[in-house]
Amino acid sequence: MSEDRREPEQSPRGSTLRRLLSDAASALVFPLIAILISFVIGAVIMLATGHNPLAAYVALVQGAFGSPTALGRTLLGATPLIFTGLAVAVAFRAGLFNIGGEGQFYIGAITAAGLGVALGSLGPLGTLLVLLGCLLTGFLWGAIPGFLKAYFGAHEVITTIMLNFVAILLATYLALNPLRSEGLVPGTETIDPAARIPFIGLGLGRANYGFFLALLAAVVFYLLLWRTRRGFQIRAVGLSPGAASYAGMGIGVNTVLALAIGGAFAALGGGVEVLGVYGKMSIPFVEELGFTGIGVALLGRNHPIGVVLGALLFGGLTSGAQEMQFATDVPLQLASVLAAIILLLVTATKLVELIVGKRARELASGTHLERETGL
Amino acid sequence: MEDLLGSLGSLLASTIRNATPLVFAALGGMFSERSGVVNIALEGLMLISAFAGVVGAWLSGSALVGLLFALAAGLIFALIHALMCVTFEADQIISGTAINLLALGGTGFLMVLIFGSGGTSPRVSGFKEVAIPLLSDIPIIGPALFNQSLLVYLMYILIPITYFVIFRTPFGLRIRATGEVPEAVDTAGVSVTRMRYYGVSLSGLLAALGGVYLSMGILSAFTEGMTTGRGFIALAALIFGRWNPLGAAGAALLFGLGLAITYQVPQEAIPIEFIQMLPYVLTIVVLAGFGGRAIAPAAIGKPYRKE
Repeated sequence: MSEDRREPEQSPRGSTLRRLLSDAASALVFPLIAILISFVIGAVIMLATGHNPLAAYVALVQGAFGSPTALGRTLLGATPLIFTGLAVAVAFRAGLFNIGGEGQFYIGAITAAGLGVALGSLGPLGTLLVLLGCLLTGFLWGAIPGFLKAYFGAHEVITTIMLNFVAILLATYLALNPLRSEGLVPGTETIDPAARIPFIGLGLGRANYGFFLALLAAVVFYLLLWRTRRGFQIRAVGLSPGAASYAGMGIGVNTVLALAIGGAFAALGGGVEVLGVYGKMSIPFVEELGFTGIGVALLGRNHPIGVVLGALLFGGLTSGAQEMQFATDVPLQLASVLAAIILLLVTATKLVELIVGKRARELASGTHLERETGL
Repeated sequence: MEDLLGSLGSLLASTIRNATPLVFAALGGMFSERSGVVNIALEGLMLISAFAGVVGAWLSGSALVGLLFALAAGLIFALIHALMCVTFEADQIISGTAINLLALGGTGFLMVLIFGSGGTSPRVSGFKEVAIPLLSDIPIIGPALFNQSLLVYLMYILIPITYFVIFRTPFGLRIRATGEVPEAVDTAGVSVTRMRYYGVSLSGLLAALGGVYLSMGILSAFTEGMTTGRGFIALAALIFGRWNPLGAAGAALLFGLGLAITYQVPQEAIPIEFIQMLPYVLTIVVLAGFGGRAIAPAAIGKPYRKE
């Protein structure tokens, strides 16, 4: 991974700061090119459909960062994406694709909705217990594809996608049957405000302290992967399964753990969303946050700092799209299109090579898996 | 007895209808994967084609024009996948995921622009059932197999044709060799890049047939996200069928049966959500049971670089 790699001609002379800056700059090359091209394509789409791209983008940026309320909305949008981005990134570090963030997010959401009502009277202690519950259910749910991969050879890409459908249907069943509220809106009971995650205030609208929980999760992600033996093993299995296995690290156990930890991150995101934003799980619930996490992780090169930045970008895109639709009539679904194009381009090695030359291949190391795909 | 046979017949008919899009997509996926390009974009290729078909039929009033629109859309999106995976050496699974999201977001965006709102499109003229004389008179299987839309008959024909193409023609040999030992193909003077573009393009065209059957064969309208995982199930069928057209079609029929059952189980017996889970759980079980033993084309997922 690029941030681990010292360039031989630089490390003896360059200061640590210079190395960090140069690493950061090179880590930004792929994402910046992807973002730039996607916005150009977005502009072409708008021109083709009779809109003014300049006005639309101005509205987009204003709607994302232009005022405290807009910024609050961006933070609100970025919060779940940090969690689902980390869920993808931890698996990627182990050489695995976790496309199951969407379902894991739902598992966390329904866990929080159910436990939250039961433990709501406990106040902040209840909040803590609910979030621990989300960690647990997410961990177990995430372990399923890991287990199926490690011991039955079922490819995690397909099993995690299939489990998305199963999780969404399961959460829907629970929210509409055993946990259903008496109210008119289909979904669960509302959680006692005492056990919810409070708003930040400061004019940031509905932004809540869940954002700081997400930042904390990113820190935990860093410590786990770079400061523990287990994290070292997970990364080693991702970088070179053969060598890791030769060194006595269990491929199977690390596969299960990486996907299970991913599940825990995504489920925590679902729990924070329920406790911080809605106070319950209504059906239909928010969609696509799990899938957007894939783009967030790759844009952020599967590094926690990158994931946070990527989540802020995608959060800003969603938040700004509302203003864009309001001000310029461009359908807000354009934001999903832009996000998809960014994801499409963010691993395109040869494309970057055309722009920055041969160095691109070395910069690409954080975006490609070493492990066999066999799909 | 009459009742039992009757419901068996309708289950069989429903199995065929549900299997048809899976068969098309799985056969398409085979060409792509046999040439060495992972194609989890099948879901998105079907979705965009399902939409394009409805738009074409809505604009022209003709189902055939709809079909052409669908094929064009499938081909264009497949070419984007090929451009990313083959030319730009992007990660194939990420590119596939991005295509799926692009199809989902793009159809949502275009629904608003073209029809004024999301959700479901206006109804269009679709591909109606055409009974084949004599064959459709056979008891039970006749009406089930031979009173279907023209696209279903096309599916029947395409299974042996793809088998023949992939295993008995020079083109098929080249596609397979490109997925197994691209170096050898290159040495023989055949362009690996070109073969992979062919493979992925064919997957786009075939997945488009699956998509258009969903929106204009089974229904006569487009609904956002209407593929509901069928592209991924088709991919699982392809793996289960060991990248062989006959095996993939057989597996697609099995999954089609799973989908058909979900529409037949009485809703009072089991909560609807658990019935709807069945095809997805079946896919996981099948993959876990047999997927591990399936051997993928050797060079799949890897961009080819001339040394």
